Amino acid sequence: MPRSASDGGAPRRRRNRHVFWIVPLLLLPLPLLLDPYQQYVVNLALVYVPVGIGFNVIVGNLGLLAFSNVAFFGIGAYSAGILMVRLGLPWWVALVPAALSGGVAGCAASIPALRGVRMFYLAIMTLAFGELMRWVYIRWEPVTGGSMGMALPTADLFGWALDSEARKFYVFLGLVLATIVATDRILSSRFGRAFVAIKSDELAAAAMGVPTNRYITLGFAWGGCVVGIGGAMYAALIGHLTPIAFDLTELILQFAIIMVGGLGSLVGSVLGAVVITAAPELFRDLPGFQELLFGVLIILVILFLPRGLASLLARLHPVFQDRYYRG
Amino acid sequence: MEGLLELSDVTVRFGGLTAVDAVSFGVAPGEICALIGPNGAGKTTLFNAIAGNALVDAGRIVFQGAEIQGLTPHEIAVRGIRRTFQNGGLFGHLTALENILAGLHTQIASNFCGLLLGMGRSARAEAAATARALELLALMDIAHLCDHPSDALSGGQQRMVEIVRAVATNPPLLLLDEPAVGLAPPVRDRLCTIIRRLAKETGIGILLVEHAIELVMSVSDRVIVLNNGSKVTDAPPEAVRADKDVLEAYLGRS
Amino acid sequence: MMILSQLVISGIATGMLYALIALSMTVGYRATTVVNFGHGDMVMMGAYVMLFFTVSAGMPFLAALALAAATLFLFGFMMQRGLMEPIIKGPHLSLAIMALAVGYALRGVARIEWGNETLMLARPYAQDAFMVGAVVITMDDLVISGSVLLLLLALFVIFNLTPIGKVIQAVFQTQRGAQLVGINVPAFHCAMWGGGATLGATGGVLLALIVPLTPDMGVWTLVRGFAAMTLGGFGSLHGAVIGGLLLGLMEKLLGFYASTVFIDISAYLVTILVLLIRPQGLFGRHATLRV
Repeated sequence: MPRSASDGGAPRRRRNRHVFWIVPLLLLPLPLLLDPYQQYVVNLALVYVPVGIGFNVIVGNLGLLAFSNVAFFGIGAYSAGILMVRLGLPWWVALVPAALSGGVAGCAASIPALRGVRMFYLAIMTLAFGELMRWVYIRWEPVTGGSMGMALPTADLFGWALDSEARKFYVFLGLVLATIVATDRILSSRFGRAFVAIKSDELAAAAMGVPTNRYITLGFAWGGCVVGIGGAMYAALIGHLTPIAFDLTELILQFAIIMVGGLGSLVGSVLGAVVITAAPELFRDLPGFQELLFGVLIILVILFLPRGLASLLARLHPVFQDRYYRG
Repeated sequence: MEGLLELSDVTVRFGGLTAVDAVSFGVAPGEICALIGPNGAGKTTLFNAIAGNALVDAGRIVFQGAEIQGLTPHEIAVRGIRRTFQNGGLFGHLTALENILAGLHTQIASNFCGLLLGMGRSARAEAAATARALELLALMDIAHLCDHPSDALSGGQQRMVEIVRAVATNPPLLLLDEPAVGLAPPVRDRLCTIIRRLAKETGIGILLVEHAIELVMSVSDRVIVLNNGSKVTDAPPEAVRADKDVLEAYLGRS
Repeated sequence: MMILSQLVISGIATGMLYALIALSMTVGYRATTVVNFGHGDMVMMGAYVMLFFTVSAGMPFLAALALAAATLFLFGFMMQRGLMEPIIKGPHLSLAIMALAVGYALRGVARIEWGNETLMLARPYAQDAFMVGAVVITMDDLVISGSVLLLLLALFVIFNLTPIGKVIQAVFQTQRGAQLVGINVPAFHCAMWGGGATLGATGGVLLALIVPLTPDMGVWTLVRGFAAMTLGGFGSLHGAVIGGLLLGLMEKLLGFYASTVFIDISAYLVTILVLLIRPQGLFGRHATLRV
């Protein structure tokens, strides 16, 4: 909706996003209403929100075909787990190195992109990176526990043990809100604009003075960091890490999150995480069916709703319309 | 005279072919110079060399006293040379305003960590940038387009936005790559006016590549003619119009 | 020396399999420049379909193979026609994920039909071994290498000596030119994807002779196929074959002389290193798309 510049001063274009704060507010009494299993599903959805957000920054905003997300997820999870098990650190302390290791992994994964590797080649390389990491989890037995994995001590926050789904919920909610707010700030700033500029026309972006290589690494690092946090949350939620949780199937699920939700949309990342997490739980006891239905779901989304669910919401009300996201 | 941009014997080769052959000229602040010549004369290559999009094999390009050949495009942009693109370098699904803001990128004083932590300074810098972008759009009388997605704008409007975006940071030197291509005559006239205003009012030096000869003659202070990679002449428009060598370049050999 | 020869024999046999898989992936890619991330699962499906025809339908081996090949041809054809073609103008990401999702769905089907138990394809030949000098050559090695060689020969003949082969070459060279002379390029694309699926299915059958079938073997296959294609050079048909052979040899030789880890990770390392250092591989036609 075009508006003239003579609309007075400051936040002239800002759809009032503060209204979204009502959502976490409404969610606060959730543990009182749900049984532990249902609460677990909600917690799982919360774990996947930062996973989707980080992934979306790289693939949706920067526009790079990086298939490395599960590598970041696994590195975050295993970093937290290894620090907890091998060094006896409490979970809330291990959170920071987990996030940082995700960020470092992001920088590593950005290297081919810096050298101009794009599209399918980048996808294949980052896929190989992810599988290589999974091999490391399986083979580095003394550290990672090998194929049997590692059982982790209960997570805690400054000594407050997260031994119930309710407690995990509140901590996860806080973390998720922090990542959403932080990412929103980045995306709304000149950095987010630069990311989308790079995606749109890299040459023109450079001509604006954007150091494209540096920013590509920055986007990857931020994405990796956020996904790493999701990994650490996963470690706290499940309490046990196995390599099989970080395979190609997991990657497809994470793709489903951002594609069903909406590429390049922060709202979409959240939506996608909720929808995709809820769905498999309905098929937990029917393994093959889960894969079949998921595959079909993604196919249908690509064919008929390529911009994702967020595009539907954006048509309902502009408050759901993310910057730079055209639904 | 202290030139803004000085090219000395700049040579660019592409795998055996010499696209630009020892070309030298200069652009002064507030001056409008045009690069013209038949197809394949090396205009675009020279342009790209100045902007850092093509590698210089020999010679020097000096901007505000410092050598810039060999720098990356973004380094050159940071130093104050901005350019437009022939096939529209606008970021399609960004709005006009967002495009201008992208142009202001280097001047927005927000930093990554500051944003993460919600520091006021970074937030204020962003807000200030938005205000400045709106101001710029208003100056060009296209403020009403600010929230339109750029790929929904008309060709002429897109061109205006591109130019505004390029001058948003008050760069000392502006490179315009075929700014008039595909524009209807009335829009071309407006373009000429804007180019003249930019040079005379803000002192930006402008170097443009153009095929529309009339436009070039009417707007330029100096015209540089290239043919087969070499400079044929470098003179005010009237002199070039009468120049035999120039006619031969266009009508004679390819 | 004896060990080296043994490793080489073994490496070639494995390499032949990789070569076939990489070739099957290259055929589709050459035609459409779209990478089929679900190809590994199609290879897997080829093996399972074969299992169905031999075990459940009780057909003789070669007849079942023909049917399995035909089934996968049809599948590849329809996948290109119904799923890839409609979105060909869209973002590359959609193409990649579409193929990935198809593969994923195939995995689901395999798991529903055959569950997670490991099954093996019965060999239609006796599991013999021969001594040639001091080197042991198994019947498996012979059958696999022989089958792949035969296929390569047949493909070579078709490609270079038949009219159809000329058409294929023409379209590979210039699609627009082919269109101008009246070749139905979209149908060609479908046929190539079908052909790639058929070759992949054959590879799957050969693979299933020597390893147990699981629905998850698609990923393993995909990664190795990519590694071989990358090494040989994306888009190069002979590159895919040579890349596959080299990968097989690399795994066996490095696996013995350097460390057993290389048996597993050679494929990953090859993919990453080649794309970083020399993106066009050995015989690549296009250098990595640079911005």
